[in-house]
Amino acid sequence: MNTDSEQPASDLKQLSRLIAAHPFLKGLSSQHLQVLSAAAMLKDFAPGEIIFQEGDPANRFYLIESGKVTLEISEKDREPTLIQTISAGDVLGWSWLFPPYYWHFNARAAEATKAIFFYGTRLREQCEEDRALGYELMKRMAEIMIERLQATRRQLRELRLSHP
Amino acid sequence: MPKLEDKIMEHPFLKTMPPEHLQPLLKNALEVEFQSGEILFREGEPANRLFLIETGRVAIEAGTHQGKTVQTLGPGEVLGWSWLFPPFTWHFSARAMESTECVVLDGGHLLVMAEENPKFGYDLMRLISQVLVGRLQVTRKKMLEASAPKEP
Repeated sequence: MNTDSEQPASDLKQLSRLIAAHPFLKGLSSQHLQVLSAAAMLKDFAPGEIIFQEGDPANRFYLIESGKVTLEISEKDREPTLIQTISAGDVLGWSWLFPPYYWHFNARAAEATKAIFFYGTRLREQCEEDRALGYELMKRMAEIMIERLQATRRQLRELRLSHP
Repeated sequence: MPKLEDKIMEHPFLKTMPPEHLQPLLKNALEVEFQSGEILFREGEPANRLFLIETGRVAIEAGTHQGKTVQTLGPGEVLGWSWLFPPFTWHFSARAMESTECVVLDGGHLLVMAEENPKFGYDLMRLISQVLVGRLQVTRKKMLEASAPKEP
């Protein structure tokens, strides 16, 4: 995938604007936003298109601009189970941050979806070099993880109450 | 008896933490023993502590009804993140299921130090995020099991 060149200047400007405006990156310095923009590109997904698949190497993440994405876990002999639906303003993917760097679930566009793609492998190196950037990104990721964990725990509790 | 600072730096959660970060971790740290059934923290109350479990077992609980336990944690595990982000109140309760020893760190101080020193902040957030990813995967797996059709 080509992430670093041949994008017209107007597209790059639009991309930088979208990145600066995304709720996940609110409060980031313009210098850090620039670093992120350099590792980013816009991606469109058709309805039903797989964004990534459980078990594949995780080297990227997405900020959703519009549309809807379903997260599913596939189990042997079972239809994939929906674990969450995310949409505009949400973040998709953090398995690129930690070993073993594999996706733990499938992500699929449930409708036409526009997202900002970030090249995670490069960003991870930049986080190691610039800890202030690393802190800002990791803090935001942790916040989203806590929200997802809390939501999932409540879902689990309700499920157990309704199917004792 | 190992010293408190050794307990902190040798706890599995912090074993990859560079030793230079000991001081912000050690400030206000204390060892606390909870009796079986005792509450470590209660849903809705102000959150300001990080618990490193040394021995024993802790249940994370939601609400007060049956099926309230959402996860149990044991020695080498860690709990308590709600001091990281607004509203800074506990989202769950935690209860000792047996006699439990913890090292308790000052979350408010950790957060201040993280903001002041991004190197420490990055390392701390990286460790916390890694635990959170694991918890999320465990919880999702339980969801799948709970929603699986029962064998006839």
